[in-house]
Amino acid sequence: MNCREVEEQDVPERYALGRLTDSERDEFEQHYFECDSCFSQLQTALALQEELRHQPRVRTQAGGTSLRRMWFWAPASAALALFLVVGVWWYAGRKQQFAPQATSSTPVVKPETSGQLASSAAPSLEELARVQPPAYSPVVLRGAEDEAHESFRKAMQHYLKNDYTGAIPGLRAAVKANPDTASFHFYLGACYLLTNQSDWAIKSFRKTISLENSTYSGQAHFYLAKAYLQEKDVSAAERELQATVPLDGGNAAEAREILHQLRK
Amino acid sequence: MGGTGYNSACAGDKEAAGLPSDTNHLRNLVDHIRQGDAEAEAEVVRQFARRIFVMGFVRTRDREAARDLVQDVLMAVIGALRKGQLQDPERLAAFVHGTARNLINNQLRNAGRHPPLEPLTEDLPQDCIIEQLEHGERVRMVHQALEKLGEEDRKILRMTLVDGRKPGEIAAALGLAPDVVRTRKLRALKRVTDLIQKKLSRTGATLPHS
Repeated sequence: MNCREVEEQDVPERYALGRLTDSERDEFEQHYFECDSCFSQLQTALALQEELRHQPRVRTQAGGTSLRRMWFWAPASAALALFLVVGVWWYAGRKQQFAPQATSSTPVVKPETSGQLASSAAPSLEELARVQPPAYSPVVLRGAEDEAHESFRKAMQHYLKNDYTGAIPGLRAAVKANPDTASFHFYLGACYLLTNQSDWAIKSFRKTISLENSTYSGQAHFYLAKAYLQEKDVSAAERELQATVPLDGGNAAEAREILHQLRK
Repeated sequence: MGGTGYNSACAGDKEAAGLPSDTNHLRNLVDHIRQGDAEAEAEVVRQFARRIFVMGFVRTRDREAARDLVQDVLMAVIGALRKGQLQDPERLAAFVHGTARNLINNQLRNAGRHPPLEPLTEDLPQDCIIEQLEHGERVRMVHQALEKLGEEDRKILRMTLVDGRKPGEIAAALGLAPDVVRTRKLRALKRVTDLIQKKLSRTGATLPHS
Protein backbone atom coordinates (compact mmCIF):
# COMPACT_ATOMS: atom_id res chain seq x y z
CA MET A 1 0.00 0.00 0.00
CA ASN A 2 1.34 3.45 -0.84
CA CYS A 3 0.30 6.96 0.07
CA ARG A 4 -1.67 7.53 -3.11
CA GLU A 5 -3.73 4.42 -2.47
CA VAL A 6 -4.26 5.51 1.15
CA GLU A 7 -5.69 8.82 -0.04
CA GLU A 8 -7.70 7.58 -3.02
CA GLN A 9 -9.34 4.72 -1.14
CA ASP A 10 -10.18 6.76 2.01
CA VAL A 11 -8.16 4.27 4.00
CA PRO A 12 -7.74 6.27 7.25
CA GLU A 13 -11.47 6.78 7.70
CA ARG A 14 -12.28 3.18 6.80
CA TYR A 15 -9.62 2.02 9.24
CA ALA A 16 -11.03 4.24 12.00
CA LEU A 17 -14.46 2.74 11.32
CA GLY A 18 -13.16 -0.84 11.32
CA ARG A 19 -14.15 -1.33 7.68
CA LEU A 20 -10.94 -2.59 6.15
CA THR A 21 -10.48 -6.27 5.42
CA ASP A 22 -7.88 -8.04 7.54
CA SER A 23 -5.30 -7.88 4.78
CA GLU A 24 -6.03 -4.20 4.02
CA ARG A 25 -5.74 -3.42 7.72
CA ASP A 26 -2.37 -5.18 7.97
CA GLU A 27 -1.12 -3.39 4.85
CA PHE A 28 -2.20 0.02 6.12
CA GLU A 29 -0.68 -0.58 9.54
CA GLN A 30 2.61 -1.64 7.96
CA HIS A 31 2.46 1.54 5.86
CA TYR A 32 1.79 3.97 8.70
CA PHE A 33 4.45 2.33 10.82
CA GLU A 34 6.81 3.75 8.19
CA CYS A 35 5.00 6.88 6.94
CA ASP A 36 4.77 9.92 9.21
CA SER A 37 2.40 11.78 6.91
CA CYS A 38 -0.20 9.02 6.64
CA PHE A 39 0.12 8.37 10.38
CA SER A 40 -0.57 12.03 11.09
CA GLN A 41 -3.68 11.91 8.88
CA LEU A 42 -4.85 8.82 10.73
CA GLN A 43 -4.39 10.53 14.10
CA THR A 44 -6.36 13.52 12.85
CA ALA A 45 -9.14 11.24 11.61
CA LEU A 46 -9.31 9.51 15.00
CA ALA A 47 -9.34 12.84 16.86
CA LEU A 48 -12.08 14.08 14.52
CA GLN A 49 -14.08 10.94 15.14
CA GLU A 50 -13.82 11.39 18.89
CA GLU A 51 -14.65 15.10 18.82
CA LEU A 52 -17.60 14.72 16.44
CA ARG A 53 -18.98 11.91 18.55
CA HIS A 54 -19.30 14.27 21.49
CA GLN A 55 -20.75 17.20 19.60
CA PRO A 56 -24.52 17.70 19.64
CA ARG A 57 -26.23 16.21 16.65
CA VAL A 58 -28.62 18.07 14.35
CA ARG A 59 -30.77 15.53 12.60
CA THR A 60 -31.54 15.94 8.94
CA GLN A 61 -34.26 14.43 6.82
CA ALA A 62 -34.28 13.55 3.14
CA GLY A 63 -34.17 16.59 0.91
CA GLY A 64 -31.98 18.53 3.27
CA THR A 65 -34.66 19.92 5.57
CA SER A 66 -33.10 20.43 8.95
CA LEU A 67 -34.81 20.41 12.30
CA ARG A 68 -33.41 23.86 12.98
CA ARG A 69 -35.29 25.26 10.00
CA MET A 70 -38.45 23.52 11.18
CA TRP A 71 -38.16 24.95 14.69
CA PHE A 72 -37.82 28.42 13.15
CA TRP A 73 -41.42 28.11 12.09
CA ALA A 74 -42.57 26.56 15.37
CA PRO A 75 -43.52 29.86 17.07
CA ALA A 76 -45.66 30.84 14.05
CA SER A 77 -47.31 27.43 14.10
CA ALA A 78 -47.98 27.75 17.82
CA ALA A 79 -49.52 31.22 17.36
CA LEU A 80 -51.78 29.92 14.62
CA ALA A 81 -52.84 27.00 16.77
CA LEU A 82 -53.62 29.31 19.68
CA PHE A 83 -55.67 31.53 17.39
CA LEU A 84 -57.65 28.56 16.19
CA VAL A 85 -58.29 27.32 19.73
CA VAL A 86 -59.39 30.73 20.94
CA GLY A 87 -61.53 31.19 17.85
CA VAL A 88 -63.33 27.93 18.29
CA TRP A 89 -63.80 28.54 21.99
CA TRP A 90 -65.30 31.94 21.27
CA TYR A 91 -67.52 30.46 18.59
CA ALA A 92 -68.64 27.63 20.81
CA GLY A 93 -69.39 30.10 23.55
CA ARG A 94 -71.48 32.24 21.23
CA LYS A 95 -73.32 29.18 19.98
CA GLN A 96 -74.14 28.09 23.50
CA GLN A 97 -75.34 31.58 24.36
CA PHE A 98 -77.93 31.41 21.64
CA ALA A 99 -78.72 27.72 22.01
CA PRO A 100 -78.88 26.99 25.75
CA GLN A 101 -80.49 23.58 25.16
CA ALA A 102 -77.54 22.29 23.19
CA THR A 103 -75.54 19.71 25.03
CA SER A 104 -72.71 19.13 22.63
CA SER A 105 -69.35 19.59 24.16
CA THR A 106 -66.86 22.09 22.91
CA PRO A 107 -65.00 20.53 20.05
CA VAL A 108 -61.33 20.27 20.71
CA VAL A 109 -59.09 21.38 17.94
CA LYS A 110 -55.69 19.86 18.25
CA PRO A 111 -52.93 22.25 17.34
CA GLU A 112 -51.18 21.48 14.12
CA THR A 113 -48.03 19.61 14.71
CA SER A 114 -45.29 19.31 12.25
CA GLY A 115 -46.51 16.13 10.66
CA GLN A 116 -43.24 15.65 8.91
CA LEU A 117 -41.43 15.72 12.21
CA ALA A 118 -43.89 13.53 14.08
CA SER A 119 -44.31 10.86 11.48
CA SER A 120 -40.96 10.38 9.91
CA ALA A 121 -38.34 11.57 12.42
CA ALA A 122 -35.79 8.86 12.99
CA PRO A 123 -35.07 7.96 16.62
CA SER A 124 -31.95 9.52 18.04
CA LEU A 125 -29.00 7.46 19.24
CA GLU A 126 -30.05 8.26 22.80
CA GLU A 127 -33.44 6.75 22.13
CA LEU A 128 -31.95 3.68 20.47
CA ALA A 129 -29.57 3.28 23.43
CA ARG A 130 -32.37 3.09 25.98
CA VAL A 131 -32.46 -0.29 27.60
CA GLN A 132 -34.64 -2.33 29.91
CA PRO A 133 -32.83 -4.25 32.66
CA PRO A 134 -32.24 -7.87 31.67
CA ALA A 135 -34.49 -10.26 33.52
CA TYR A 136 -33.15 -12.14 36.49
CA SER A 137 -34.68 -15.04 38.38
CA PRO A 138 -32.94 -16.04 41.59
CA VAL A 139 -31.54 -19.53 41.47
CA VAL A 140 -31.55 -21.70 44.56
CA LEU A 141 -28.23 -23.47 44.87
CA ARG A 142 -27.98 -26.90 46.39
CA GLY A 143 -25.38 -27.22 49.07
CA ALA A 144 -23.31 -24.53 50.72
CA GLU A 145 -22.90 -21.23 48.95
CA ASP A 146 -19.38 -20.01 48.26
CA GLU A 147 -18.30 -16.43 48.89
CA ALA A 148 -18.68 -15.40 45.26
CA HIS A 149 -22.24 -16.68 44.96
CA GLU A 150 -23.20 -15.16 48.28
CA SER A 151 -21.94 -11.75 47.11
CA PHE A 152 -23.79 -12.23 43.84
CA ARG A 153 -27.05 -13.24 45.52
CA LYS A 154 -26.98 -10.25 47.87
CA ALA A 155 -26.12 -7.88 45.04
CA MET A 156 -28.99 -9.18 42.95
CA GLN A 157 -31.40 -8.39 45.75
CA HIS A 158 -30.52 -4.76 45.08
CA TYR A 159 -30.88 -5.42 41.35
CA LEU A 160 -34.41 -6.75 41.77
CA LYS A 161 -35.32 -3.52 43.57
CA ASN A 162 -33.91 -1.54 40.60
CA ASP A 163 -31.06 -0.35 42.84
CA TYR A 164 -28.36 -0.89 40.21
CA THR A 165 -25.85 1.39 41.90
CA GLY A 166 -26.31 -0.57 45.10
CA ALA A 167 -25.77 -3.85 43.27
CA ILE A 168 -22.41 -2.92 41.77
CA PRO A 169 -20.11 -3.40 44.80
CA GLY A 170 -21.42 -6.90 45.49
CA LEU A 171 -21.15 -7.86 41.83
CA ARG A 172 -17.58 -6.56 41.68
CA ALA A 173 -16.77 -8.64 44.73
CA ALA A 174 -18.32 -11.72 43.10
CA VAL A 175 -16.29 -11.14 39.93
CA LYS A 176 -13.11 -10.70 41.93
CA ALA A 177 -13.72 -13.91 43.86
CA ASN A 178 -14.68 -15.89 40.77
CA PRO A 179 -13.66 -14.17 37.53
CA ASP A 180 -14.82 -16.98 35.23
CA THR A 181 -18.55 -16.93 35.96
CA ALA A 182 -20.40 -15.39 33.02
CA SER A 183 -23.51 -14.40 34.95
CA PHE A 184 -21.49 -12.26 37.36
CA HIS A 185 -19.92 -10.28 34.54
CA PHE A 186 -23.19 -10.07 32.64
CA TYR A 187 -25.21 -8.53 35.44
CA LEU A 188 -22.32 -6.29 36.45
CA GLY A 189 -22.29 -5.03 32.88
CA ALA A 190 -26.05 -4.53 33.03
CA CYS A 191 -25.73 -2.45 36.21
CA TYR A 192 -23.00 -0.32 34.66
CA LEU A 193 -25.14 0.16 31.56
CA LEU A 194 -28.21 1.12 33.57
CA THR A 195 -26.16 3.67 35.55
CA ASN A 196 -24.68 5.14 32.34
CA GLN A 197 -21.17 3.84 32.95
CA SER A 198 -20.93 2.61 29.40
CA ASP A 199 -17.14 2.20 29.31
CA TRP A 200 -17.24 -0.22 32.25
CA ALA A 201 -20.29 -1.91 30.79
CA ILE A 202 -18.35 -2.54 27.58
CA LYS A 203 -15.55 -4.24 29.51
CA SER A 204 -17.96 -6.45 31.46
CA PHE A 205 -19.96 -7.53 28.43
CA ARG A 206 -16.83 -8.28 26.43
CA LYS A 207 -15.60 -10.43 29.26
CA THR A 208 -18.98 -12.19 29.33
CA ILE A 209 -18.70 -12.92 25.61
CA SER A 210 -15.16 -14.22 25.99
CA LEU A 211 -16.36 -16.81 28.51
CA GLU A 212 -18.52 -18.34 25.74
CA ASN A 213 -21.46 -19.22 27.94
CA SER A 214 -24.44 -20.02 25.74
CA THR A 215 -26.94 -18.49 28.19
CA TYR A 216 -25.29 -15.11 28.41
CA SER A 217 -23.14 -14.61 25.30
CA GLY A 218 -26.03 -13.80 22.98
CA GLN A 219 -27.59 -11.35 25.41
CA ALA A 220 -24.18 -9.81 26.09
CA HIS A 221 -23.80 -8.93 22.38
CA PHE A 222 -27.14 -7.11 22.52
CA TYR A 223 -26.39 -5.11 25.65
CA LEU A 224 -22.86 -4.44 24.44
CA ALA A 225 -24.48 -2.87 21.38
CA LYS A 226 -26.56 -0.68 23.72
CA ALA A 227 -23.41 0.40 25.53
CA TYR A 228 -21.76 1.30 22.23
CA LEU A 229 -24.86 3.31 21.30
CA GLN A 230 -24.49 5.19 24.59
CA GLU A 231 -20.90 5.87 23.53
CA LYS A 232 -22.25 6.86 20.07
CA ASP A 233 -19.97 4.26 18.47
CA VAL A 234 -22.39 3.31 15.72
CA SER A 235 -20.14 0.97 13.77
CA ALA A 236 -19.30 -1.07 16.87
CA ALA A 237 -22.98 -1.15 17.85
CA GLU A 238 -23.92 -2.43 14.38
CA ARG A 239 -21.33 -5.18 14.68
CA GLU A 240 -22.76 -6.36 18.01
CA LEU A 241 -26.34 -6.13 16.80
CA GLN A 242 -25.46 -8.31 13.82
CA ALA A 243 -23.95 -10.83 16.24
CA THR A 244 -27.10 -10.70 18.36
CA VAL A 245 -29.56 -11.71 15.65
CA PRO A 246 -28.54 -15.37 15.28
CA LEU A 247 -27.70 -15.89 18.97
CA ASP A 248 -30.29 -14.12 21.06
CA GLY A 249 -33.85 -15.04 20.16
CA GLY A 250 -35.33 -12.77 22.81
CA ASN A 251 -33.63 -9.61 21.59
CA ALA A 252 -33.25 -10.50 17.91
CA ALA A 253 -36.32 -8.54 16.82
CA GLU A 254 -35.24 -5.37 18.60
CA ALA A 255 -31.70 -5.82 17.30
CA ARG A 256 -33.03 -6.04 13.73
CA GLU A 257 -35.17 -2.95 14.24
CA ILE A 258 -32.28 -0.92 15.64
CA LEU A 259 -30.08 -2.00 12.72
CA HIS A 260 -32.82 -0.88 10.37
CA GLN A 261 -33.01 2.52 12.09
CA LEU A 262 -29.24 2.96 12.08
CA ARG A 263 -29.00 2.23 8.39
CA LYS A 264 -31.71 4.70 7.35
CA MET B 1 -8.93 11.63 -8.21
CA GLY B 2 -6.58 13.48 -5.98
CA GLY B 3 -7.23 17.09 -6.92
CA THR B 4 -8.58 17.88 -3.51
CA GLY B 5 -6.37 15.45 -1.66
CA TYR B 6 -4.74 16.51 1.54
CA ASN B 7 -1.79 14.18 1.33
CA SER B 8 0.37 16.31 -0.91
CA ALA B 9 3.39 15.96 1.37
CA CYS B 10 3.56 12.20 1.17
CA ALA B 11 5.57 10.84 -1.71
CA GLY B 12 5.40 7.20 -0.67
CA ASP B 13 9.10 7.28 -0.29
CA LYS B 14 10.56 6.30 3.04
CA GLU B 15 12.85 9.35 3.24
CA ALA B 16 10.00 11.79 2.66
CA ALA B 17 7.87 9.80 5.05
CA GLY B 18 9.99 10.68 8.03
CA LEU B 19 11.45 7.46 9.33
CA PRO B 20 15.21 6.98 9.07
CA SER B 21 15.29 5.10 5.81
CA ASP B 22 19.03 5.19 5.31
CA THR B 23 20.26 1.62 5.66
CA ASN B 24 23.39 2.70 7.51
CA HIS B 25 21.40 4.70 10.02
CA LEU B 26 19.08 1.79 10.75
CA ARG B 27 22.03 -0.58 10.99
CA ASN B 28 23.73 1.79 13.43
CA LEU B 29 20.54 2.12 15.45
CA VAL B 30 20.13 -1.62 15.74
CA ASP B 31 23.86 -2.09 16.49
CA HIS B 32 23.74 0.51 19.24
CA ILE B 33 20.78 -1.20 20.84
CA ARG B 34 22.65 -4.49 20.74
CA GLN B 35 25.42 -2.72 22.63
CA GLY B 36 22.98 -1.48 25.25
CA ASP B 37 22.78 2.16 24.11
CA ALA B 38 19.84 3.64 26.02
CA GLU B 39 19.53 6.63 23.67
CA ALA B 40 19.13 4.32 20.67
CA GLU B 41 16.43 2.41 22.55
CA ALA B 42 14.72 5.71 23.37
CA GLU B 43 14.68 6.59 19.66
CA VAL B 44 12.87 3.36 18.87
CA VAL B 45 10.37 4.14 21.63
CA ARG B 46 9.81 7.65 20.27
CA GLN B 47 9.23 6.38 16.74
CA PHE B 48 6.87 3.56 17.54
CA ALA B 49 5.09 4.03 20.88
CA ARG B 50 2.28 6.18 19.48
CA ARG B 51 1.87 3.98 16.41
CA ILE B 52 1.55 0.88 18.57
CA PHE B 53 -0.99 2.65 20.78
CA VAL B 54 -3.14 3.72 17.83
CA MET B 55 -2.99 0.24 16.32
CA GLY B 56 -3.96 -1.33 19.63
CA PHE B 57 -6.74 1.16 20.26
CA VAL B 58 -8.30 0.79 16.81
CA ARG B 59 -8.20 -3.00 17.06
CA THR B 60 -9.47 -3.30 20.64
CA ARG B 61 -11.28 0.04 21.24
CA ASP B 62 -9.79 -0.14 24.72
CA ARG B 63 -7.36 2.61 25.74
CA GLU B 64 -6.05 0.76 28.72
CA ALA B 65 -5.43 -2.39 26.71
CA ALA B 66 -3.69 -0.26 24.09
CA ARG B 67 -1.40 1.28 26.74
CA ASP B 68 -0.54 -2.18 28.04
CA LEU B 69 0.18 -3.24 24.50
CA VAL B 70 2.68 -0.42 24.01
CA GLN B 71 4.65 -1.57 27.03
CA ASP B 72 4.53 -5.24 26.02
CA VAL B 73 5.48 -4.64 22.40
CA LEU B 74 8.35 -2.29 23.16
CA MET B 75 9.73 -4.64 25.79
CA ALA B 76 9.58 -7.51 23.32
CA VAL B 77 11.11 -5.49 20.48
CA ILE B 78 13.90 -3.93 22.54
CA GLY B 79 14.63 -7.31 24.05
CA ALA B 80 14.90 -8.91 20.63
CA LEU B 81 17.09 -6.08 19.32
CA ARG B 82 19.42 -6.39 22.30
CA LYS B 83 19.88 -10.06 21.46
CA GLY B 84 20.59 -9.26 17.82
CA GLN B 85 17.51 -11.12 16.60
CA LEU B 86 16.67 -8.65 13.81
CA GLN B 87 18.78 -9.73 10.86
CA ASP B 88 17.66 -7.03 8.45
CA PRO B 89 17.64 -3.55 10.10
CA GLU B 90 15.66 -2.10 7.18
CA ARG B 91 12.73 -4.20 8.31
CA LEU B 92 12.60 -2.62 11.75
CA ALA B 93 9.14 -1.06 11.23
CA ALA B 94 7.74 -4.34 9.87
CA PHE B 95 9.28 -6.18 12.82
CA VAL B 96 7.65 -3.83 15.34
CA HIS B 97 4.31 -4.09 13.53
CA GLY B 98 4.47 -7.88 13.39
CA THR B 99 5.29 -8.09 17.09
CA ALA B 100 2.39 -5.77 17.90
CA ARG B 101 0.00 -7.78 15.76
CA ASN B 102 0.92 -11.05 17.48
CA LEU B 103 0.57 -9.57 20.94
CA ILE B 104 -2.78 -7.98 20.10
CA ASN B 105 -4.09 -11.34 18.86
CA ASN B 106 -2.92 -12.96 22.09
CA GLN B 107 -4.50 -10.18 24.10
CA LEU B 108 -7.84 -10.53 22.32
CA ARG B 109 -7.82 -14.27 22.93
CA ASN B 110 -7.24 -13.66 26.63
CA ALA B 111 -9.54 -10.64 26.74
CA GLY B 112 -10.52 -9.50 30.19
CA ARG B 113 -9.03 -12.40 32.06
CA HIS B 114 -7.94 -9.92 34.69
CA PRO B 115 -10.39 -7.10 34.24
CA PRO B 116 -9.47 -3.86 35.93
CA LEU B 117 -11.64 -3.18 38.92
CA GLU B 118 -10.32 0.25 39.81
CA PRO B 119 -11.46 3.50 38.19
CA LEU B 120 -9.41 4.46 35.18
CA THR B 121 -8.22 7.76 36.59
CA GLU B 122 -6.42 6.39 39.63
CA ASP B 123 -2.65 5.99 39.69
CA LEU B 124 -2.00 6.33 35.98
CA PRO B 125 1.63 5.82 35.09
CA GLN B 126 3.42 8.86 33.72
CA ASP B 127 3.47 7.74 30.08
CA CYS B 128 -0.29 7.21 30.14
CA ILE B 129 -0.73 10.76 31.38
CA ILE B 130 1.55 12.06 28.65
CA GLU B 131 -0.36 10.08 26.03
CA GLN B 132 -3.62 11.51 27.33
CA LEU B 133 -2.20 15.05 27.19
CA GLU B 134 -0.90 14.60 23.65
CA HIS B 135 -4.11 13.07 22.44
CA GLY B 136 -6.08 15.72 24.28
CA GLU B 137 -4.06 18.45 22.59
CA ARG B 138 -4.86 17.04 19.16
CA VAL B 139 -8.55 16.72 20.02
CA ARG B 140 -8.56 20.32 21.24
CA MET B 141 -7.02 21.51 17.97
CA VAL B 142 -9.55 19.45 16.04
CA HIS B 143 -12.35 21.06 18.04
CA GLN B 144 -11.09 24.53 17.13
CA ALA B 145 -10.68 23.55 13.49
CA LEU B 146 -14.21 22.14 13.35
CA GLU B 147 -15.61 25.45 14.59
CA LYS B 148 -14.25 27.07 11.44
CA LEU B 149 -16.13 24.67 9.19
CA GLY B 150 -19.68 25.22 8.00
CA GLU B 151 -22.48 23.25 9.58
CA GLU B 152 -23.03 21.10 6.53
CA ASP B 153 -19.34 20.22 6.26
CA ARG B 154 -19.36 19.20 9.93
CA LYS B 155 -22.43 17.14 9.26
CA ILE B 156 -20.72 15.39 6.35
CA LEU B 157 -17.68 14.60 8.51
CA ARG B 158 -19.84 13.32 11.36
CA MET B 159 -21.93 11.13 9.07
CA THR B 160 -18.70 9.77 7.58
CA LEU B 161 -16.54 9.25 10.65
CA VAL B 162 -19.09 8.60 13.39
CA ASP B 163 -22.12 7.17 11.63
CA GLY B 164 -20.00 5.34 9.07
CA ARG B 165 -22.19 6.34 6.14
CA LYS B 166 -21.01 6.19 2.56
CA PRO B 167 -21.05 9.26 0.26
CA GLY B 168 -24.16 7.99 -1.53
CA GLU B 169 -26.09 7.65 1.74
CA ILE B 170 -24.94 11.06 2.93
CA ALA B 171 -25.88 12.57 -0.42
CA ALA B 172 -29.39 11.14 -0.16
CA ALA B 173 -29.79 12.41 3.39
CA LEU B 174 -28.59 15.92 2.59
CA GLY B 175 -30.03 16.31 -0.88
CA LEU B 176 -26.61 16.62 -2.52
CA ALA B 177 -24.90 14.75 -5.33
CA PRO B 178 -22.50 12.01 -4.19
CA ASP B 179 -19.57 13.67 -5.98
CA VAL B 180 -20.28 16.90 -4.14
CA VAL B 181 -20.33 15.07 -0.81
CA ARG B 182 -17.01 13.41 -1.55
CA THR B 183 -15.38 16.65 -2.66
CA ARG B 184 -16.66 18.57 0.36
CA LYS B 185 -15.55 15.80 2.68
CA LEU B 186 -12.01 15.82 1.29
CA ARG B 187 -11.85 19.60 1.41
CA ALA B 188 -13.13 19.66 4.99
CA LEU B 189 -10.54 17.05 6.03
CA LYS B 190 -7.81 19.01 4.27
CA ARG B 191 -8.92 22.19 5.98
CA VAL B 192 -8.80 20.54 9.41
CA THR B 193 -5.39 19.03 8.69
CA ASP B 194 -4.02 22.36 7.42
CA LEU B 195 -5.36 24.24 10.44
CA ILE B 196 -3.70 21.77 12.78
CA GLN B 197 -0.41 21.98 10.88
CA LYS B 198 -0.59 25.79 11.02
CA LYS B 199 -1.08 25.70 14.79
CA LEU B 200 1.81 23.32 15.17
CA SER B 201 4.17 25.43 13.10
CA ARG B 202 3.08 28.63 14.88
CA THR B 203 3.75 27.24 18.32
CA GLY B 204 6.82 25.34 17.22
CA ALA B 205 5.29 22.34 18.93
CA THR B 206 5.34 18.91 17.48
CA LEU B 207 3.00 16.14 18.28
CA PRO B 208 4.78 12.83 18.47
CA HIS B 209 5.41 11.14 15.17
CA SER B 210 3.60 13.79 13.11
